[in-house]
Amino acid sequence: MTVHTPIETRSGGIPRWALALTAFVLLVGGVYLASNLTGENPPFAMPGATHAPPTNGDPDPAVGEALVAQAGCAACHGADLGGQGAAFPTLLELESGPISENLEDLAAEHPDDWVALWIDGTTPETEGIDRAGMPAFGTQYSPEQIDAMVAYLRGL
Amino acid sequence: MTVNPKKMRPYDQPPKRRRRLIPDGPDSAATGFLVAAALWLAIATGIGALALALRMVTFEISYPLGVFDLSFELDQRRVDAAFVNATVFGWLSNAGFAAVAFMAPRLTGRRIVAEKLLNVGMAIWNLSLAGGIAALYVFDLGANAPLTAMPWLIDGGLATGALVVTGVFLATGGVALASGYISLWFAGIALLGLLGMTSLSAGLGLFETFFGLEQLPVALASIFIERAIVVMWLLGMTYAILHYVVPRAAGGPLASGGLALLTWLTWLVLAPASALGVLLDSSVPFFVTSAGAVATMLLLLPASLAAVNLSLTMSGRWSLLFGTGTAAFAAVAIAFLLATSLLEAIGSLRAVHVAVGVTDWELGVFLWAAYGTFTMAALAFADHATPRVLRRSWGGSALAGAQLWLTFGGATIAGLALMFGGMAEGALRSQGVAPDAIREGVIVYRAFGLLGFGMVALTGLALLGSLFFTYTSGEPADYAVPGQPAAAAAGH
Repeated sequence: MTVHTPIETRSGGIPRWALALTAFVLLVGGVYLASNLTGENPPFAMPGATHAPPTNGDPDPAVGEALVAQAGCAACHGADLGGQGAAFPTLLELESGPISENLEDLAAEHPDDWVALWIDGTTPETEGIDRAGMPAFGTQYSPEQIDAMVAYLRGL
Repeated sequence: MTVNPKKMRPYDQPPKRRRRLIPDGPDSAATGFLVAAALWLAIATGIGALALALRMVTFEISYPLGVFDLSFELDQRRVDAAFVNATVFGWLSNAGFAAVAFMAPRLTGRRIVAEKLLNVGMAIWNLSLAGGIAALYVFDLGANAPLTAMPWLIDGGLATGALVVTGVFLATGGVALASGYISLWFAGIALLGLLGMTSLSAGLGLFETFFGLEQLPVALASIFIERAIVVMWLLGMTYAILHYVVPRAAGGPLASGGLALLTWLTWLVLAPASALGVLLDSSVPFFVTSAGAVATMLLLLPASLAAVNLSLTMSGRWSLLFGTGTAAFAAVAIAFLLATSLLEAIGSLRAVHVAVGVTDWELGVFLWAAYGTFTMAALAFADHATPRVLRRSWGGSALAGAQLWLTFGGATIAGLALMFGGMAEGALRSQGVAPDAIREGVIVYRAFGLLGFGMVALTGLALLGSLFFTYTSGEPADYAVPGQPAAAAAGH
């Protein structure tokens, strides 16, 4: 028995409804694109990022300032980052030690990098600490970017 | 009367078949790629189950190898990378190559040019990949995305394999491109996309090794290459396969060549552009990523056009969908194609990306794309091609049913569980919940994900069983051999 199968054929032109649908969808896409031409992308989430020391020089506070603005820290910690009640402590006094009770142990164990570890929030050092609403920025920013944020915040 | 074998004379013995070291018979390459694909499916799903298990139980191994300070490292990121590579370059790419080697001679009516060379290309591709996956557990992955994380020498091997397949395809089917077989057009662009991206990956790795590059450009190039491989190569071959097998399963011609042409054109324009959407970094102009996001959303258009065209082709043969044959596999592939295109479109919205980016949501969507859309299309092809390349017919509907339902059910459960888990993870993250508490919060979703993927893992064994029993127990069937006069007459 020989099994017969049909040959793929090209028949007819492009249906009008398909052309109209394509034109409409492309038009909608074009309008959407036109309304999304300006803005700024977030920093790239580097795959496999770890808390390695910065490889390209010291952290830049100017870069950190832009990142702090982009991360929206002011939304909770106040427009001047001076804090909003006990729930959102000030970020202007990081040099003088932990800014809330839940950070005292972390600051005692990691006096040099407790701020970076706290902002990151994805490393074992901060496991078990009540974050009280503070996002873990390590899922969005690289260690180098977090170090730049710390450099800026410590200079306030 | 008993026969003394020592007394047998040469003409009493059956003629000896001389087997060649590198096969060059008709369909030998298609058969080889199909068997390799089935083996890789079993391997990839096994690694995938391990990757999901590691999301529930944190586990790492570091074992010194005793040479050059190298050590075997097993952790979440390396297992994830091995899973993605085994799935994309192992299972799906070998199935894609098998489809190319199967379709090209049948659509052109001539034998594959240099079948032996194609078999050499298959060996290069698969040996490189096996070495590359082993290397993932030893060498530093750097800032690379999973599909470009293998050493550049391995990427070079893959690019060489892709070059061989593309060259043989163009030499065989190039003359028929003008005749408008849409499957050849899809396959041609898909192959060129794969060749370009694997070459780019090898070149990038080579440049990085000898001249050094910053991490950020490497990471961006790498994620672009990965996305392009998925939307150009895997999606392109899915369209090629579906446009080939559905008319044959339905026993009639494709409903509309014009619609197929429009599908091809829109995919050709939108697929490369959609790869720009993943370049989400502050150094990349906003309009570039916006254009990529819009192209990703618009990829729903060719998916819808193909779904309409293939549904019209099936018109009148709906009963085929309730069996376990090629048509049923293809129908599930089309359903997943629409669903995945919709999810990709939703995921490309910036607000959604912020909410569920870098969560299990992305893995869930990947599972629906890889093990829903692409795998179902590949299984549809395997169901159609296996009896034709082996020239044997075996009524193993139980194993075909197992492939259909295990993959459909398993991929659906695993994908949904991980997507819901990703949404929960994103919500908890935005509330500032600690990582260990997030892990505890999503563990139920991950358990369902593992359960679903465990079902998918059995599909590899079912496919291998199907190939084995068709070869060993199938009845000889007189399928036309491509490139021989009977084939052209039979309209093969």
